[in-house]
Amino acid sequence: MDMIINPTVVELSRMQFALTALYHFLFVPLTLGLSFILATMETVYVVTKRPIYKEMTQFWGKLFGINFALGVATGLTMEFEFGTNWSMYSHFVGDIFGTPLAIEGLMAFFMESTFVGVMFFGWDRLSPKAHLVVTYLVALGSNLSALWILIANGFMQDPRGGTFDPNTMRMQFTSFIGLIFNPDAQAKFVHTSIAGFVTGSMFVMAVSAYYLLNKKHRDLALRSFRIASIFGVISSVGVITLGDALGYIDAHAQPTKLAAMEAIWKTDTHPVSAAWNLIAIPDRQAQKNVFEIGIPYILTPLLTHTETTVIPGIIDLEQQAKPKIENGIKAMLALKAYNANHSDTSALATFKQYENDMGYGFLAKQFAPDQDLAKVNQANLPSVLDKTANATIPNVWVEFWAFRIMVAAGFAMLVLFAFAAYYSLKNQVERHPLLLKVALWSISLPWIACEFGWITAENGRQPWTVYGWLPTFVSASSHSVAYMVFSLIGFAILYSSFIIAELYLMFKYARLGPQEEHHGDAAPAAGGGLAGKPAFAKASLDRQ
Amino acid sequence: MKNLLTFVSAAVILGLALFLSVILGDYGPWYFAWLIGTTMIILISAAGAAMFDSQDEELSQQGVSKR
Repeated sequence: MDMIINPTVVELSRMQFALTALYHFLFVPLTLGLSFILATMETVYVVTKRPIYKEMTQFWGKLFGINFALGVATGLTMEFEFGTNWSMYSHFVGDIFGTPLAIEGLMAFFMESTFVGVMFFGWDRLSPKAHLVVTYLVALGSNLSALWILIANGFMQDPRGGTFDPNTMRMQFTSFIGLIFNPDAQAKFVHTSIAGFVTGSMFVMAVSAYYLLNKKHRDLALRSFRIASIFGVISSVGVITLGDALGYIDAHAQPTKLAAMEAIWKTDTHPVSAAWNLIAIPDRQAQKNVFEIGIPYILTPLLTHTETTVIPGIIDLEQQAKPKIENGIKAMLALKAYNANHSDTSALATFKQYENDMGYGFLAKQFAPDQDLAKVNQANLPSVLDKTANATIPNVWVEFWAFRIMVAAGFAMLVLFAFAAYYSLKNQVERHPLLLKVALWSISLPWIACEFGWITAENGRQPWTVYGWLPTFVSASSHSVAYMVFSLIGFAILYSSFIIAELYLMFKYARLGPQEEHHGDAAPAAGGGLAGKPAFAKASLDRQ
Repeated sequence: MKNLLTFVSAAVILGLALFLSVILGDYGPWYFAWLIGTTMIILISAAGAAMFDSQDEELSQQGVSKR
């Protein structure tokens, strides 16, 4: 644990993970949401026995299939990245973090991957009810997959269910129940899953609006628009509610993230009238906002659900971190002594006394003379404390604006879905071409919200990989800069090609719609519907 | 026999649902909310689709094509 990794390698590792995660998350939310929308359409088919709903399920299922395949391809690399680029992190928390990842692979991913094949090719082989069960299992599997990943992420945000063992020098399980019922994991799973529902709804609604504007596939488009708009408006309310819950949980678990998210520099001692910053330009050096527009009386009830709770500002949080840093330095020195001599019980006792602040000692390493905590003395301690305390705060500018872009996109979609559902329920969508155009051109909004949501979550956790326990700068592997640059460029090219392939296939098959695939006396597609043949399986089916 | 199997299956599902509700209600309120919420979203959206078909039939009978 004495080794400090080249800061450039750490930054490149962070860039690579951010790049792969953000690329991957272009595919995930559509899979999470569209799978349940397919299940809804198929439910209506099984209940009403109207063939149009089968055609709808098969057509949207084809677009789901394209997205699913590319989502899987981009997700697999990320699990390996923990080992290749974040080996210190994997060593430190692998016993805990690896468990939900393994369950995700063995249970949820295998489940969804198995049943997705049955869903595509089982239309002729299963009864309608059995096929419906399969479609629900695909939807459930996709979302369970997200659940286990977010349980793992929840541990990084608010470590519960494990503690550090000085004998093995890694974190080990204390409670599996604590891990899976972590409040951060719970709220984040529901927030992310429902954000997927919103994404699926917007996708279906926008493509349906395109058909309605072009007077194509009217029966399919009107029904799809109806389902998507209702699905979307309820999901939007849900995602905003869970966003609020997540903020409330983070206010306790990660006060630094919350302060950065709202650009609160000084603690307002009058919580009732504290202003919520609608717009601000934060200045980290000056520790203030150089420009801000605030709305009084909003901040405290919004963040704490009370009117009297004082919300600590960044400057106060830095001061509050200093005693933890001092304790953390003591813990790290005691841990080093105990590691040199395992019979040194006084070192172990000292470590146990300060172990909860160990991470802050880790964080102080980068500011200690020669990065050696043993060289911290009374003369240089104030400087080390100041620098380390300053490092406990994430990038305020990024956090503040990423959060606001996500929220703005979320509320814009809620308004759009509300109008869309209202006019759809009145059966008047075709009389409002402006609404259809706005729906079509808003197709990118959920992806923007999802990407900036992840930036908010992960940037706000900095400077930690495991909040309060393991700083990011010691978590990476000791690769060379050249290796990292090479692999980063490789990933950027590969993943960009995936995005291009996805967009090409999605545009192609969405423009084609459910009927244009049929030429002359061609045999019905798999399942007997108009659009049952999965796009990526068409050639192999034709050869049969 | 078929009725008995149906009854037993329904009873098992009910028991499982109650067990999940009690456990999740205590330890995982947001997980429970997701189960309930997702079910509700699906049912309301499906009901919206069914409503569309009845509206469609009414409009067809009235000779209205554009909505």
